[in-house]
Amino acid sequence: MRIALVGNQNSGKTTLFNLLTGNNQKIGNWPGVTIEKKVGIIRGTDHELIDLPGVYSLSPYSSEEQITRQFLFEEEIDLILNVIDATSIERSLYLSTQLLELKIPMLIALNMTDLLENRGIKIDIDLLMDRLDTTILPISAIKKTNVFNLIQTIKKQDYRKNNYAHIYDHVLEKTVELIEQDIELNHKRFIAIKMLEGDMSYEHYVTEPILEKIQSLSKNYQRDLEQVIADERYRYIEFIRDEAIDSKLEKETWTDKIDNVLLNRYLAIPIFIVIMFLIYYLAAGPVGGFTVDIVSQWMDSLKSWTYTSLIDLNASSWSASLVVDGILAGVGAILSFLPQLIILFLLISLLETTGYMARIAFFLDRLFQKMGLSGKSLIPFIIGSGCSVPAIMAARTIPNETEKKMTIMLTPFIPCSAKLPIITLFAGYFFEEYAGLVSASLYFLAIMIIIVSALILKRLFAKGKPSAFILELPNYKVPHVQFILRDTYEKVKEFISHAGSVILLASLIIWILISFSWTFKYGIHPDQSILASLGKGLAYIFYPMLGTLSWGTSVSAVQGLIAKEQVVASMAIIAGLSEANSDSLLIFGSQAFAFFTAPSAYAFMVFNLFSAPCFGSIGAMRQELGTTKRMWMAVLFQTGLAWLLAVIIFQLGSLIGGIIT
Amino acid sequence: MKKKHNPQIGDHINLAELKKGQKAKVLFLNTTDSATRRKLLDMGITEGVQIKVKKIAPLGDPIDCELRGYELCLRKEDLKMIDVEVIR
Repeated sequence: MRIALVGNQNSGKTTLFNLLTGNNQKIGNWPGVTIEKKVGIIRGTDHELIDLPGVYSLSPYSSEEQITRQFLFEEEIDLILNVIDATSIERSLYLSTQLLELKIPMLIALNMTDLLENRGIKIDIDLLMDRLDTTILPISAIKKTNVFNLIQTIKKQDYRKNNYAHIYDHVLEKTVELIEQDIELNHKRFIAIKMLEGDMSYEHYVTEPILEKIQSLSKNYQRDLEQVIADERYRYIEFIRDEAIDSKLEKETWTDKIDNVLLNRYLAIPIFIVIMFLIYYLAAGPVGGFTVDIVSQWMDSLKSWTYTSLIDLNASSWSASLVVDGILAGVGAILSFLPQLIILFLLISLLETTGYMARIAFFLDRLFQKMGLSGKSLIPFIIGSGCSVPAIMAARTIPNETEKKMTIMLTPFIPCSAKLPIITLFAGYFFEEYAGLVSASLYFLAIMIIIVSALILKRLFAKGKPSAFILELPNYKVPHVQFILRDTYEKVKEFISHAGSVILLASLIIWILISFSWTFKYGIHPDQSILASLGKGLAYIFYPMLGTLSWGTSVSAVQGLIAKEQVVASMAIIAGLSEANSDSLLIFGSQAFAFFTAPSAYAFMVFNLFSAPCFGSIGAMRQELGTTKRMWMAVLFQTGLAWLLAVIIFQLGSLIGGIIT
Repeated sequence: MKKKHNPQIGDHINLAELKKGQKAKVLFLNTTDSATRRKLLDMGITEGVQIKVKKIAPLGDPIDCELRGYELCLRKEDLKMIDVEVIR
């Protein structure tokens, strides 16, 4: 059996999906977390469950909503599992009335029933079932209440079939039935109604007799039929609501109380700035830096221990070097940042599940609108501080094409978690006690760059009317510890497996390139290596921001395309094989990177943070922007801007530094 | 130009003029952009529905409205297109 999971945005579909299938799909408390369909098997059965992006109706508004309608319309489905948020049942049932028109068997899971008592809402479920002619099961996906029962009901197919609810008034109903007879396609009733609504997707099926019927109905109502149908649906729902739902309204909820502070006219923006500052300060600043020091010391001992053990085991010096100077240096350099990343992932996950994200979008919308973006652009930006790839995809929820494309192009400017190692490494070494402030300054710079770039892009694109901003404000939820830990665990797992695959392979290649000359001689000086000769050409590009020709720095920066953390891995390998200059920290103690000064360190960070993102993100940009040309435009724009900025920073910084000393 | 005063019960105004905490009944949707109009209908802004202005963004726009038991944020520009009658 194939079952489609359908419901409003933020109604808890994915939470239920994970529960039913044992899957680990991402959840969050803002509308539009799920942007692609996900398939799983319901535990203990062979039923396939498909989690679809949340929709409010079957008239798609943004691109991810299109997926849901297309799926329901074109695929063979045996059951629709309609998830309803019991706390906003009126709006949720609007979708249900449309789903019923597809004439696919439907079962309603009335979710979040654990919140009803607190809200003073009472629902007469039996009456609701009768009125909708559909089986309704009250559940709570978060509390796991009654979910077993739901599985049993599905298994035994113990639900009402051939559902039919009389929703429309007599005249409208009659016309729908008449039009149905003229349609020779599946989902007759659904199409008949879409035709009456004037939906463009079904316009080409409208034949002459159908058109006559639509026109005569239109004359009857003297009103826009699209509105008539929406009115009729909601009228029917109001009728059911009055009968089956008893709610004590006008009660000030927890959400209202929290919003009085967090959305306060004077406090909202300062609070937001403090929250964001705290997140990055905790992750990139002293707390993160401290943990990195401990772990890297540990990594150093592991390296020397491994080397001695390998030599003791009679391993050749080149193979010991491959393991220690190649793999352990590269992968280890990355893994030493893990504690920091855990802090960052935890904090972002917390932000995502509380319901605050939608509020940031709400109160920054006006500002973003001035920049040619939408308040909804903020969601990709925040997710982007974890990873750009899901962030770029999250831009799908923005209905306006221009705003969406601009958001996609700007998202990689947000320093992602893979850039954190670069920030920590340079800021920690060159700015010592100011490391936290320097890290924060980079995030601030990222925001400035986004604002300036947005204003530039806004001029470049022929700008139409800004789209409407229509966003549901979800209630606050107490963060679910288990979900946050699981989300963080998933991200950490991905980071580690990335280090064990992509970074490991890249480190191996770098070790080979730096250990051999073009004539495949081993045991040469790194300056004679293949890598050095490749890097010497590149070095000219980086000269204006470094003040010196450094092949090691240049080849490392280019490897940011593979993965941003690879910049650090590559520097660690090159440093390990070059002569030590001093006893200080591994990387900057080596001759290869001893030239770095504060201005060149800052400039190099800026270049790495804001130039072209990794191949993964570039691929995501290609997919979401739609054309390779647009992707190249974005990549060149980002890299050009980063280079220019880095050069300006280095030149100015050196000038000021020269005056002071 | 109408005189600036707080909307009174029974006044016919547009939704952008409604003050925080006030409630109104939707009379007519003037929205011309068809995608936006469709979306507003889908979100439950149909004729006769009661809408309360609940929260206003710190920068004055957008506005968070309560209707049909949930909260919806809309920009003033779109609220202007919705005619309402003040009921409280």
